[in-house]
Amino acid sequence: MNWIQGLLIAAILALLVHLLRSRTNATAKAWVKVGYLMFVIAAIYAILRPDDTTVVANWLGVDRGADLLSYALVIAFLFTTLSTYLRFKELEVRYARLARTVALQGARTPKI
Amino acid sequence: MYVVGIDTSGVWIIVPAFNETQVIGDVVTDLRSTFDHVVCVDDGSLDDTADTALRAGAHVVSHPVNLGQGAAIQTGVEYARRQPGAAVFVTFDADGQHRVTDVPAMLDRLAGGDVDIVIGTRFSGSRVSGIPPLKRFILRIAARLSPTSRRLGLTDAHNGLRVFNRRVAENLDLTMAGMSHAGEFLALIDDNRWRVAEVPVEILYTAYSLAKGQPLLNGVNIVFDGFLRGRMHR
Repeated sequence: MNWIQGLLIAAILALLVHLLRSRTNATAKAWVKVGYLMFVIAAIYAILRPDDTTVVANWLGVDRGADLLSYALVIAFLFTTLSTYLRFKELEVRYARLARTVALQGARTPKI
Repeated sequence: MYVVGIDTSGVWIIVPAFNETQVIGDVVTDLRSTFDHVVCVDDGSLDDTADTALRAGAHVVSHPVNLGQGAAIQTGVEYARRQPGAAVFVTFDADGQHRVTDVPAMLDRLAGGDVDIVIGTRFSGSRVSGIPPLKRFILRIAARLSPTSRRLGLTDAHNGLRVFNRRVAENLDLTMAGMSHAGEFLALIDDNRWRVAEVPVEILYTAYSLAKGQPLLNGVNIVFDGFLRGRMHR
């Protein structure tokens, strides 16, 4: 098995565990910001020296830097999809509570 | 009113309904012949469900938009629990699949005082006829596979007929939209350590209730939502 295979599988599993277990709190938000900062630095570096991504890719057992980036993109996309799904579910719960309050205010009793 | 010696004045029947004009009138009338208090939660129906239920003698709470059956049950319970004297709560499907005559036995079981919630089961005793074979098979498997129903010793994971006391009503907080609420209900029973018992009931599989009922494929949604439960903010 290439290093990349192991890393990708580990990333997917970590993603699942993280998404399914974590509840958003101040610490988690801070880590997201730190992660984003590191992403920006890495992205700028990769833009300035694109051939270096190939070097990193070769370390990991991938031929081209572009391939490595597309793997990373797939993982990022999965992450976004799942977190959006969870956020929508949470929103639905709030929306249901709001609608319930409105419904209870307008309750009608039978005349009998 | 009294049924088999049980005072029904503190009993509230909760009927979630979505586009059930055809049958809701009869279901409410039937319930009202035995019980004083029926609340129909109209889940954003586009037809005349709310007015029909009101004319038949039910209290009516109307969701401004469709929120799903679990949300409708939660609304009905929240309405009923704030009514003076409400002590016992019954969830009853609007499509005519439950028999009013099954409720007194369940009330009787709850009145024993050793349980907090009584759930109807299709799979106890000899009265299992009338269930379409595939549906029966899947429901059986669902009950076996669900760790919660196994732990609770339940045989029918998705029966809509439930009778429970104030303890359950006060703490009930169903958040799953759509049909996943049956599993969520069981999970809440487990989490809150409510004492549960089953009573055999009969389900009337009419052409109408089969057409309105959930398709079996919906089981996939139910299982998926079950996994995600508890991973959200409340």
